[in-house]
Amino acid sequence: MFTGLMRTLILYILIIAGVRLMGKRQVGELEPSELVLSLIIADLASVPMQDYGIPLLAGVVPILALLALTMMLSVLTMKSVRFRALLCGRPSVVVREGVPDQGEMARNRLTVDELLEELRGLGYPDLSAVRYAILETNGRLSVLPFAGERPPTARELGVRARESGLPRVVVSDGRVLEDNLRALGKDRAWLREELGRRGCREPGEVFLLLADEAGQTFLTKKETGKGAERR
Amino acid sequence: MRRFWAAAALLALLLAGSLANAWYARALTEDMGARLDRAQALAGAGEWERAAQLTGQVRADWEAHRLYFHVVARHSDADGIAKGFRAVEEYLALEEADQYNAANADLMAQLALIAEMEQPSWINVL
Repeated sequence: MFTGLMRTLILYILIIAGVRLMGKRQVGELEPSELVLSLIIADLASVPMQDYGIPLLAGVVPILALLALTMMLSVLTMKSVRFRALLCGRPSVVVREGVPDQGEMARNRLTVDELLEELRGLGYPDLSAVRYAILETNGRLSVLPFAGERPPTARELGVRARESGLPRVVVSDGRVLEDNLRALGKDRAWLREELGRRGCREPGEVFLLLADEAGQTFLTKKETGKGAERR
Repeated sequence: MRRFWAAAALLALLLAGSLANAWYARALTEDMGARLDRAQALAGAGEWERAAQLTGQVRADWEAHRLYFHVVARHSDADGIAKGFRAVEEYLALEEADQYNAANADLMAQLALIAEMEQPSWINVL
């Protein structure tokens, strides 16, 4: 037990350090501690599951230790900026004023091809439109384009845009979700009326009905082959 | 911060549990080993019956803690000790001094090793 516990703690810290050294590109969408936890935990669980000669405790103790450690690290990263920087790293500015920062790219092991690929994926075919590109701690690239390359917002155009509400599923595959109906401040009578206007007699004929607080609805009938009706 | 302390408490509990287990495993096997050693001395003095009686008591003790050893140790190690007891008892019944001494020494070593694996030492961790 003690040996298993100590080995777990040592290996966890070692693998986190390894993932940090690999750089942000390897992390994907997870923080290093989350990635390491997901890497180890599945393996730990499978060993006593497959080998009946190993006591269950040999898998349970390290898993509990890992969960406790991850919880502690997660609280520490929320409380301390310095600890967060140590564990998760800091965002790196890889493009400044349209010019790639070669030093920063090398530090993050980001090649020009990878940078361009990421930018293309975000809708920027070349660097000329990009003022800043920031490699976030979770491995994603964030882009701030030059003002002239940015689509104008409704405010900049002086247009008054209508707020849309949060759409909720009211009918899913013929079943009425009463909680969502109540949250929208509607009742069965409203639902019957809404269905009647769309040519449905009962919820069982509906595949999906979405509604929001602003009164917008979206309905798809079940297996009619006509597609969605939008109002 | 409450989540942090809850996690720290769980970790401390695991550590305390593992240290308590190390102490318990050692105490249990040291006592069994000492009694097996006494049984060997009795057999050496020709008191085979008393040696068999004492070994039988140790085996009963082992059986009483079988669940514990199966929970904390590798099953193959625990099974190896159970097999060792059988061999020792057979040699005691046959009054085969050389074979008994060898089998008993092996059993005592296995008991010591099963506890040794649980001890908080760098040798085990590394």
